[in-house]
Amino acid sequence: MAASDAGKADKASARIKPKKRFNFFHDERVRSVLYQLLTACTVGWVAWYLITNTAHNLEVRGMNAGFGFLTTAAGFDMDFTLIEYVPGRGTYGRIFLIGCLNTLFVSVLAIIGSTIFGFFVGVLRLSSNWLVARLALAYVEIFRNTPLLMQVIFWYVAVFSVLPKVKNSLDLSGGAAVVFLNNRGLYSAWPVPGEFFWMTIVALVVAVVGVFILRYWARKRQDDTGQPFPTFIASVALLILLPGTVYLLTGSPLAWDIPTLQGFNFVGGSNLPPAFLALLVALIFYHAAHLAESVRAGILSVNIGQTDAALAIGLRPSRMMTLVIIPQAMRAIVPPMISLWMNVVKNSSLAIAIGYSDLVALFMQTALNQAGYAVEIVGMTMAFYMFISLSISGLLNIYNKRVQLVER
Amino acid sequence: MAIVKAKKTATRPAPLSETTFIGWLHKNLFNSWTNTILTFVSLYIIYVTVTGLWVWGISEAVWVAKDRRECFAISIDGACWAGVISWLDNIFYGRYPRAELWRVNLGGLILILWMAPLWLPRVKHKVFIGLSTVFIYPFLAGYLFVGGEKDVFMQLMIAAAIVCLAGNTLHAIVGVFSGRSLPEYLIRLLGMEEASEANRRNTLLTSLAVALVVVFVAQMGWTIKEVPWTKWGGLFLTLVISGIGIATALPGGIVLALGRRSKLPVIRVLSMSFIELFRSVPLITVLFMATTMFPLFMPEGFVLNKLVQVIIAVCLFSACYMAETVRAGLQAIPTGQYEAAHTLGLGYWGTMNLVVMPQALKLMIPNIVGSFIGLLKDTTLVSIIGLFDILGMLRSISQDVPWRGLQREPLFFGAILFFIICFIMSKYSRHLEAKLSAGDQR
Repeated sequence: MAASDAGKADKASARIKPKKRFNFFHDERVRSVLYQLLTACTVGWVAWYLITNTAHNLEVRGMNAGFGFLTTAAGFDMDFTLIEYVPGRGTYGRIFLIGCLNTLFVSVLAIIGSTIFGFFVGVLRLSSNWLVARLALAYVEIFRNTPLLMQVIFWYVAVFSVLPKVKNSLDLSGGAAVVFLNNRGLYSAWPVPGEFFWMTIVALVVAVVGVFILRYWARKRQDDTGQPFPTFIASVALLILLPGTVYLLTGSPLAWDIPTLQGFNFVGGSNLPPAFLALLVALIFYHAAHLAESVRAGILSVNIGQTDAALAIGLRPSRMMTLVIIPQAMRAIVPPMISLWMNVVKNSSLAIAIGYSDLVALFMQTALNQAGYAVEIVGMTMAFYMFISLSISGLLNIYNKRVQLVER
Repeated sequence: MAIVKAKKTATRPAPLSETTFIGWLHKNLFNSWTNTILTFVSLYIIYVTVTGLWVWGISEAVWVAKDRRECFAISIDGACWAGVISWLDNIFYGRYPRAELWRVNLGGLILILWMAPLWLPRVKHKVFIGLSTVFIYPFLAGYLFVGGEKDVFMQLMIAAAIVCLAGNTLHAIVGVFSGRSLPEYLIRLLGMEEASEANRRNTLLTSLAVALVVVFVAQMGWTIKEVPWTKWGGLFLTLVISGIGIATALPGGIVLALGRRSKLPVIRVLSMSFIELFRSVPLITVLFMATTMFPLFMPEGFVLNKLVQVIIAVCLFSACYMAETVRAGLQAIPTGQYEAAHTLGLGYWGTMNLVVMPQALKLMIPNIVGSFIGLLKDTTLVSIIGLFDILGMLRSISQDVPWRGLQREPLFFGAILFFIICFIMSKYSRHLEAKLSAGDQR
């Protein structure tokens, strides 16, 4: 009986015993090398095919290649630039630079605006006031569910192009006549630094450094003695008082270039064209709606027990928000917020639809039409956006690392 | 000293603040000074917006007029909807020949008919229905939209699509009434329940082949006029581009996401650089690249039309975005699931198809639908490079002689249209999420 059982078991183990023979295609290492080789060859072949085709096509069409065109002069003009440019003398390289700066200018302003407004709406979404919460919800749903391009065009054609003419400009400064809005854009007074203005700047830098030192000292003191220090008020006072005193002591060395109506247009001050304003407002409203949802989700993601615990150890509601809720909510808010910033930079390329001279409109469209060099221009434009995106996502990675250290 | 109540205390009514409308108002709108002020500010904002829109859009609006001048003559403050109304066909179909519009409508109807069984309970084999929508329906729809001469392959695919549509519909009807699948029902009808497996399979395959041949012969004489792609436009074009983008985004995104998480370094690096390349640049630069550089990529004499260039660009772009969504879902699956699948003896594809992917995709439904909505909205960018999609059509109203300068009303109409489509999609995804996660809640 026992012997036959053992025999059966032997038979069974013999049946499922793995084959000793080495099967070449069933070995994991061989297969992985084979797969990778196959992929690399396919991709390499496709790349080679595309490159030879491109080279051949460029030759057949008599198109030039290379980056020499960047030093040749461009003949066209643009309506908005932050650095000096003279049509006919400025080079394509300079146009690339202007495009990058214009893109960054509108993006940075839109990022600041949408972050502030998005936090504001996100908090309103959680308001205990039923009507306010619903109003914020309506705003978020309307702006998230319509295409951004449509919104950009709408702001441009329906708001900023139908403003009053220059003669009847709206005075936004309330009678002080320093900020005007009309259908040619926004005209505002512009500061002209005088001889000793650099001293004020130095004082400001000193104040900022002082704030950091103050924060460090206050934290150390609280760790040692348990005594809190009113850091916020002290910092604000330092930031305002020190540069302010220096500014007044050096005799207010800042003149204002005020726009004045001469003939048919304003002269002096700074001018932002309507296309810029429309793009900026559209970007702010669209992305603030997206950010508001992230902010709301972030605040809601903090466990209710945290609130209870904070109240139980005797924190005031304001201290509870700043010390317990907001630091934890930020962990959930910051990653989507940073990828939203990336989207702002990318979406600023919609400027092309309304004629603001950003990188795509200026370089990828106008310069490409004028000079050719499709491969180089498309490559440079994409490289710029990739550089910005990779820098921002690098920022995100650093933040994530820091946050992960906080977690156990 | 015990206190004993002899009588039961009568239940008191709920406090007034919980039951009456005034109580609700007090609790939700006027519970503090700041909230009272906020309520009045909100009421004022709502009042201004609603009355403004009411006066402009409805009470003072002009619905019937010959041209914009007549609109102004009737009412200077109101919207001129007459222009939008007279352009409705263009907004929806572009310059598609008016006599052939039924083809577009039929294509849309067939899509609805094809996909309807997915929402019916008791219908089986929904995966097959979904797959056939992606892989077989496009041939029939493509022919309906394009028309012209058919080659043999196209004829075969059209015949297959028609058979598939008929089978799909019958399957859905049978499923709703009996809870069976079509093959089971056919076998029962023929009284072959007792027959061997091979016998039954052969019978089914034969009937399928017969149906295919009959339809193939029947459709040979059927040709419709060719409509060049340049005539396509409006919402129809937007839906075609975004529909193809959506249909390729999910499979493409899954492949790229798996590639990015692969253990093989070459595949991982390639997928990663491809995804990062397309994700870090704006769609408009990809579209420009498609229109300026694709012609250079192609061998000499091979001309790709602009629509195809745009569609390829949109597909690449949306696949890369979907890849990141899918990757997030894959990362959310705990390692225990992989280990359990390996313990059961599943290989890589078995693990992915049967264990990981179903969970990851379910988890990511709101994000997947979110990227579909994003794609639909982004498709409006094709109007910048000169295709007359819905936004292109809406903007060209202002260049039409009788309606010169009419810009606000068309954009407003388009915004409402998009809002309705996107809002319904996002609400449906929330519903789906709740339905699918019902099993996880205890």
